Amino acid sequence: MAQGIAPLAPGLTSFLKSLKTTPADPSVEHLISLLKRRQIRNSRPCAIATTALMLRVVGEFKGRDAAKLVERIRQVGRRLTAAQPREVVVGNIVRRVLGLVREVLDDNTGGDSHAGSDAGHHSPAQHDSMTRPTLSSSISTFSPLRHAAAEPMDASMTSDMSDSSEMSRRPPLLTSHTSYAPTSAAPLVNSLFGLFSQPEDSNASTPTGATSPDGKTANSLNLERLADLSRSTNIDLKSEVMDGIRELQDELEQSDEQIAGVALEHIHSNEIILTHTASTTVQKFLLSAAKKRKFTVVHAETYPHDNTATHGILLTGRKRETRLDEDEDPWKPLTATGIPVYVIPDSHVFAIMSRVNKVILATHTVLANGGLVAAAGAHMIAKAAKEHQTPVVVLSGVYKLSPVYPFDIDELIEYGDAGRVVPYEDGEFVDKVDVEHPLYDYVPADLVNLYITNLGGHAPSYLYRIVADHYRTEDITL
Amino acid sequence: MSGPVEGEAVASPAVPAQAPNDPTAPAKTDAKDAKPEGDGASKKMSGAELKKLKQAEKQAKRAQAKAVGPATVQQGGIPKENQKQKEQKQSQKKDESRPLPIRRRPSQSNAVPQQQARKESKRDQKQLGLFFGHLYSQPRQHSMVGASKDVHPAVLALGLQYSSYVICGSTARMVAMLLAFKAVIESYQTPVGTSLARHLTNHHLSPQIDYLRGCRPLSISMGNAIRWLKDLIIKIDPSTPEAEAKRDLVEEIDMFIRERVTAAQKLIRDQAATKILPGDVILTYASSSIVEQTILQAHKAGVPFTVIVVDSKPLFEGKTLARKLANQGINVRYYLITGASHAVKGASKVFLGAHAMMSNGRLYSRVGTALVSMLARSHSLPVIVLCESVKFTEKVALDSIVGNEVAPADEILSEAERASLLPLEPHLPTTHPSKNKNDDKSATEDTKSGPLDVLKWVEGSENLHHLQVLYDVTPAEYINMVITEYGSLPPSSVPVVHRLSTNT
Repeated sequence: MAQGIAPLAPGLTSFLKSLKTTPADPSVEHLISLLKRRQIRNSRPCAIATTALMLRVVGEFKGRDAAKLVERIRQVGRRLTAAQPREVVVGNIVRRVLGLVREVLDDNTGGDSHAGSDAGHHSPAQHDSMTRPTLSSSISTFSPLRHAAAEPMDASMTSDMSDSSEMSRRPPLLTSHTSYAPTSAAPLVNSLFGLFSQPEDSNASTPTGATSPDGKTANSLNLERLADLSRSTNIDLKSEVMDGIRELQDELEQSDEQIAGVALEHIHSNEIILTHTASTTVQKFLLSAAKKRKFTVVHAETYPHDNTATHGILLTGRKRETRLDEDEDPWKPLTATGIPVYVIPDSHVFAIMSRVNKVILATHTVLANGGLVAAAGAHMIAKAAKEHQTPVVVLSGVYKLSPVYPFDIDELIEYGDAGRVVPYEDGEFVDKVDVEHPLYDYVPADLVNLYITNLGGHAPSYLYRIVADHYRTEDITL
Repeated sequence: MSGPVEGEAVASPAVPAQAPNDPTAPAKTDAKDAKPEGDGASKKMSGAELKKLKQAEKQAKRAQAKAVGPATVQQGGIPKENQKQKEQKQSQKKDESRPLPIRRRPSQSNAVPQQQARKESKRDQKQLGLFFGHLYSQPRQHSMVGASKDVHPAVLALGLQYSSYVICGSTARMVAMLLAFKAVIESYQTPVGTSLARHLTNHHLSPQIDYLRGCRPLSISMGNAIRWLKDLIIKIDPSTPEAEAKRDLVEEIDMFIRERVTAAQKLIRDQAATKILPGDVILTYASSSIVEQTILQAHKAGVPFTVIVVDSKPLFEGKTLARKLANQGINVRYYLITGASHAVKGASKVFLGAHAMMSNGRLYSRVGTALVSMLARSHSLPVIVLCESVKFTEKVALDSIVGNEVAPADEILSEAERASLLPLEPHLPTTHPSKNKNDDKSATEDTKSGPLDVLKWVEGSENLHHLQVLYDVTPAEYINMVITEYGSLPPSSVPVVHRLSTNT
């Protein structure tokens, strides 16, 4: 639009453009400022920006030291998440990239000593995780699945005192892992990853602190292992990780299509489907079902924070802020495919619910316990659906799935501009009355019947397993 | 008239009552003098005025209305202005939109009348979708054009106040109606050859009621009051002299208002105010006059507590309530319904007003009440309904769909929202029918498109509908207590109280 003087309004597009020419460090600063100013917001733009930045960071990384790369990524990730803690997706992407690095290492080092043990022995390890150790509630970003609770590195990192007993118990297994293998090889594998996180901890270079008293014993062992590793490392770490990040980018791009691909399995003819907010994922899902079936959509407008986008997406079939896919062929609005759409104010949800036979929700973040954070109003919709025994389906890309465990729900809720609720022109009112405008709702897992991700459909109770597949335990605390 | 006369039963009646008090207004104020006023009125009503009126029908009725002209003019003020509308219809097109009063229908703006009328018929067919089709049967009347000649001017004015939500709230509407009927009865003269008891109900009151129903469907309380009034009139001894009978009727109406509304509200608020304890956080939804009175009474009694008002579009009734309470020095927090699940977390008691209590214990109230009470129940908060027994009905309801009141769908988008949607125009799909229409228009007129065009996009796109109703039904399980003038009861006792109150 205003492309003359200011090339672009600061946002995702301008960031991606500048990323091509700017080196990594200024780009990190750039993204941090964009996140802080909320010029990049919502899950997908955040995910795209973070992935692009990670590609850049890894691309510019010099040297072959895996531990240093991990530390570099973590350091960037920590700053990004600190800039905007409520955009959990940023942290998710950083953790995914860390996981990639560890995986590359894993494939190359684990290969000689115990070939194939990785894939084979992972599952028994996860079964161990069913028996969770006592969680310290003071750490809100604690992993729900401490399947590697046995591993010394992780324990020392999270500085959980309850683990120190295990620490003292564990070292023997590192020295003689062959003898330990019959019971479980997985801790071994995990402890191998821990190698790279441990040294920084004792260096005390991490602001998250967590210098553990038992760090020393573990550390000496780690150094031994690290030396082992560097001898055998002949891999092109960087290019493999970058390939992985590109795959991640593809995943981000395709997740909507993949979710939409299963639409016909979930929507039958003449259904009345209730949804809310302007979500590209939901619109694509419904559009894909609309190709074959006729159904009716009831759309709550999500006043006041998302109503413009909602009306916009229904009228034009696209969000206004997604300038990024300008080149991409615009998809038609749902109404153009012959699907009747009824827009209702949010207050009507309960009244309408008795006739609705499926609720499809978009989400901001999915948490490891199966709950989700979604646009405000989602909780009452899900609750009303529960009261009417209407199934609630949540659509979410795997990238929104976060290992964060919601100990303090209020932490995750962002409050928006009160001027959207009562305009500031009404000064007297704004002065005297506390106007509140929560942007997000937390929806507990028991109100959700089904999650559909780009991997397929899952029960909320199964999400922890997908978390385990995508994130390494040692990365959960960045 | 534009003042926010919301749910206040006591204050609002003054408005319609004024009209009959002013019969001395010169029968013929010059057109010139009235023009400025008339302008205002026509502006206010223009958007709505031609709604639901088929072109032909309108013509015929208009001629009729002209015939009644002199009688209408007598009232001065509003009715007179309406006469002007026809002349001014042409000039309306150029009118600028003006700031809207609080309780105005947000969608009202300056439409080009002809176009709207045409759209209207098309949309009516469109709307018959989903499951509210049965509620669209009766066209809504937003002007006194086409009103029957028998309709009393006080009632005419009242009808407009109903349809523009100036008088809103079940009790307020009932009281206003009774006061208007008082004026009707006072100016009534039994035609020769009939008796008052027979003629007044069937031939004189019925057209008034029909007109009011056309403006906005009758509330439950209004229905109850009408039934009571008709009953009263029929029972009048034919031998009673007319003047005496009329005086009796007027006195009875006053008594009814005093007993069933004023005194009842006092009893209820006395009782409910004792439920507010120091440190409580009272949550309420939208605006109810009785809840407001209760809160104010407790505040005056010196109880320290805070209030959370949850509100929703399009009427934003809660905003008025929040403002009034804040002006009294009460600590008020204000949420919209999307934030209701957060609002409920901080609350300790929920007070709700009612449109009506159904015989199966369900609460029929402003749409959104059910959501709030559902959330309150899930947080184990006591949900207390304050309701005069005159709002109890023998009707039952299971859901909010069978019986409800539809509101004009274009009210979903307020002026500001339409304006914020305007930049979307270039993104409209090229196949969009209204897009083509817009292109034609931009060729002839300016390329500038106003907020009204957004509505045209919505109407133009075949499958996009806006849907709005006014009430919903809250299941009895969500309600812990109903406070009436008969005392505090569980919702299951509603039919008993209803019988009690109607048999006396």
